Amino acid sequence: MNHLVRTPERARPGAASTGTPPSKAPETRRHTRRRLRTARRAPAPEERGVLSEFDRDRAAVRWGLRIAQALVLVGLIAASLGPMLWLAKAAISTTQDTLREPLALWPSGIQWENLATAWNQAEINRYFLNTVWVATGSWFFQLLVATTGGYVLAVLRPRFTKLLTGAVLATLFVPGVVVLVPLFLTVLDVPLFGVSLLNTYWAVWLPAGANAFNVLLVKRFMDNLPRDVFEAARVDGAGPFRLLLFVVLPMSKPILGVVSIFAVLHAWKDFLWPLIVLPEPQLQPLSVRLPVIRDTVTLDVFLASLLISTLLPIAIFLIFQRLFLRNAGLGNAVKA
Amino acid sequence: MHATVRWVRSGGISTLILLLPLLLTFGYFAWFPIGNAVVMSFQETNLVDEPTWIGLDNFTTIFGDPLFWTSVRNTVYFTFLALLFGYPVPLVLAVLMSEFRRGLGLYSMLAYLPVVVPPVVAVLLWRFFYDASTTGVFNTILGWVGLGPFEWIQSASMAMPSLVLQATWANAGATVIIYLAALTSVRAELYDAVEVDGAGIWYKIWHVTLPQLRHILLITLILQVIATFQIFTEPFLMTGGGPNNATTTILLQIYNYAFRFGDYGAATALSLVLAVFLAIMSAIYFRATRSWSTS
Amino acid sequence: MNGTRTRLGTATTVALALGLIAACGTGDDSPSAGDDTGDGASEDVTISVSNLPPTTEEGAREAFLARVEEFEERHPHITVEPNEYEWDATTFAAQLAGGTLPTAFQFPFTDGQSLIQRGQVADITAEVEELSYAGDFNPSVLDVVQDDAGQIYGIPIAAYGIGLHYNRTLFEEAGLDPDEPPQSWDEVREYARIIAEETGQAGYAQMTQDNTGGWMLTTLTYALGGRMQEGGADDVDVTIDNPQTRRALEMLHAMRWDDDSMGEDFLYDWGTINQAFAAGQIGMYMGGSDVYDSLVTENDIDPDDYGLTVLPLDGADAGVLGGGSIVGVRPDASAAEREAAVAWVDFYYMSKLTDEDAAVADAETLVESGSPVGTPALPIFDAEQLAQAEEWVADYVNVPLDQMRPFRDQILDQPLVPEPPVKAQELYAELDGVVQAVLTEEDADIEQLLQEADANVTALVGAG
Repeated sequence: MNHLVRTPERARPGAASTGTPPSKAPETRRHTRRRLRTARRAPAPEERGVLSEFDRDRAAVRWGLRIAQALVLVGLIAASLGPMLWLAKAAISTTQDTLREPLALWPSGIQWENLATAWNQAEINRYFLNTVWVATGSWFFQLLVATTGGYVLAVLRPRFTKLLTGAVLATLFVPGVVVLVPLFLTVLDVPLFGVSLLNTYWAVWLPAGANAFNVLLVKRFMDNLPRDVFEAARVDGAGPFRLLLFVVLPMSKPILGVVSIFAVLHAWKDFLWPLIVLPEPQLQPLSVRLPVIRDTVTLDVFLASLLISTLLPIAIFLIFQRLFLRNAGLGNAVKA
Repeated sequence: MHATVRWVRSGGISTLILLLPLLLTFGYFAWFPIGNAVVMSFQETNLVDEPTWIGLDNFTTIFGDPLFWTSVRNTVYFTFLALLFGYPVPLVLAVLMSEFRRGLGLYSMLAYLPVVVPPVVAVLLWRFFYDASTTGVFNTILGWVGLGPFEWIQSASMAMPSLVLQATWANAGATVIIYLAALTSVRAELYDAVEVDGAGIWYKIWHVTLPQLRHILLITLILQVIATFQIFTEPFLMTGGGPNNATTTILLQIYNYAFRFGDYGAATALSLVLAVFLAIMSAIYFRATRSWSTS
Repeated sequence: MNGTRTRLGTATTVALALGLIAACGTGDDSPSAGDDTGDGASEDVTISVSNLPPTTEEGAREAFLARVEEFEERHPHITVEPNEYEWDATTFAAQLAGGTLPTAFQFPFTDGQSLIQRGQVADITAEVEELSYAGDFNPSVLDVVQDDAGQIYGIPIAAYGIGLHYNRTLFEEAGLDPDEPPQSWDEVREYARIIAEETGQAGYAQMTQDNTGGWMLTTLTYALGGRMQEGGADDVDVTIDNPQTRRALEMLHAMRWDDDSMGEDFLYDWGTINQAFAAGQIGMYMGGSDVYDSLVTENDIDPDDYGLTVLPLDGADAGVLGGGSIVGVRPDASAAEREAAVAWVDFYYMSKLTDEDAAVADAETLVESGSPVGTPALPIFDAEQLAQAEEWVADYVNVPLDQMRPFRDQILDQPLVPEPPVKAQELYAELDGVVQAVLTEEDADIEQLLQEADANVTALVGAG
């Protein structure tokens, strides 16, 4: 989303718009689809950008556009894809090749075993699983808090809804990193419980759940669900839990998908917080471990480790590409 | 009594149960720490003994630290550079891309790809790219066109721009996607209207597109400022704040106070100062988004 | 933070390799692993102890656990819970507060005084004084674990001095004789220039990041006869702006800017400089004399490349900066826990120093697990003990001893100078910037940098 944001969730302002509920969705979806379709056909008259059809007929514009398109393509491939392709190459090169001729293609041959060495000897396998575990738990708690919270605030609407929404919203104004130290002390000695979460995954999972963005996102989505359906269900004798499980949740799949994807990705990317609350190396996720691994393995194995650490997020991105691009752009504040 | 019965009958208990996850996580991990931040900034603690009240000492410490202004200056500099590099590029890209009739999906995917690379991986990879020797990756590439070798992060003057370059690479894609979405909502009639008067392409961009984007531009601007004021991973992993503190940022200072020197009070006090500033920015942001959505 | 972590890491490894260090002057043979604790009211007590080797070091781990069992047999009322905890300055306070810090934990000399001043480590004077060798510690070593009143807060278990590590292969490629390492700083500079010219690698490199920059600048200052602080912990005078430090920086400046013999990376920390050295990218650098252990176990260095000599000392008060490892006890430990913890240290660390069988058994285990034996260390008690212990394990040495001879032959003649007593890490952090400035800005004003650093640290020390 926005530039340089380390915590996508929090800064996903427009995320709200993803919350376009089914009732309104057709319009938005059609919108997007049509947008993509412009690629293939002449756009519908109202779907146009800066250039008019008349502009496009001018040779200068046509050529200018073609050249621009080619340049952008080359530029994007070089800038976005380039570093990752280089990493893929270097991960299976020898250390000396990478150091002496970083841009040559395998002058001394391909060294596949780097990947195995990284996976086994550098124990990327362990840290990979740790990361999966961190992400799974964070995902679960984010979803749990966001759905139950959003449901109460949007559907059940008890008397103190406004106050509570305000209190949740207020936390958005205090960026996560700023409460770093107090939050850390809370984790060290959880008030009333008197336990320390240090060196347990709870220290990562539970604070992840306190994500105002998710709650507000889900709330907003559920706000727009047709209320007569709820009434009908109530008349049929459905209590609050059944209503949530069998009516509201099924209708909220799109928004839950969005929350899930970003929860997993964010957990995978997180560095500072797990660094602080998981000092025990055996528990640490990849992000925290990679800088240490750098100092203890040879360069080729280190680069292989970097590559392995990136594969899963990229795979998730490629699989859920449309979801990402639709929501990362996040219909955003624009339509919120 | 009656009230209680009514509350129970109307599903008060289930409401409460359903609210528990939110109340507990927010209570413990958002509301309480935020309140505690204020308290802690007036205390000294070694985490073992009971904290002691020390008035404004923590604030005296942080404002008296010669690195305070260095870190503020660096952070502002980072933000400034990030805007300089990172603000126009996504906008230009998005405006261009929105005119392409073929392969928009591919372009968007390419632009967004760096955003999903974990920051630690990206930073460590770029740390290697920035190798200052002639066989460094960037120096090799620039050497082909007769430039360099550059010192990148090994020089106080180039270190910060190098960090910003990396951060821009890692984040610009997300902004591009935002602008792309915003561009689809620019109403066609507006273009039609000025074309009637014979407006050229640049005129249309300048007088229709950009004004229509002004809200989203303001929002991304504020979000970017908020985000860049919390910059940490890049300097922490790439330069450790060096050379000669040229890349020591506010958050790095907070981290150092707390986790390098064990001064949790000073760390919290500095957090609080930063928080106040960011809260103001957030408030502006909030107003901006609201005024837009109601307009 | 890497610097601290790793620097300590080395100390840890030393402690493991400490078959080397001789001890216990009294020479009385009773394994001092006193059964004395068993007397009196032997209430049951459980302590946790740090530095259990991780599962990846199977042999060392088993040996550790076997020792734990042995200890528990001797002290039936003590239960020991081994813990993989290794010192990390960044998480120490948190682990202490979070309750995950072991009862007995190992930490480096550098942090000793800070922990004492912050009340984060227990006073164990009474327990230590019970030990038969309590009076035999080398006073300058014991100093690191004492406060101004002479109370004792830890037991030093290993010590090292800074040495000059060099790459013999690069020496040969540059036409230098690897058996004749430089004897003066002028020679260091000259050799660095030749190596850089002939091999294209950095002739000399120095750590600059995560407090290691200040650590090394302090080392260099000591070697030229200067000091960073004068006076005791109570009434300390910061003397960063001194002629020797200035000379040190001028030398670095000349090597960097006139000779261009320091390579291209000026943001090394402990881990990255070791890695670069092991990869053959550095001709010479300063580091703890025990670094070889970690170069082998973590960086996979080719032993043939390795050479170690002492730092050239120059000037009246010149000395070599020393460091090492201490075992301390949690500040909230009960009297029984403190007693048990000291008994553990006595048994696990100290008996190896006093008892030939324990030393040999330890060396055997280390060799089996592929860990280095024979890396030079400095005496905790006195030089004779060190020689004695080295003799005990002579058959097990698996490091290239000859290539370390220049260091071993001379280090005991070098005066050992402890680290600055007050706020050492803060002082180092401040100096990181100074060293970095000199290495990355050609027109750096050394005089002014030192004045500023001096003023800043003086303010810090005053504030503390």
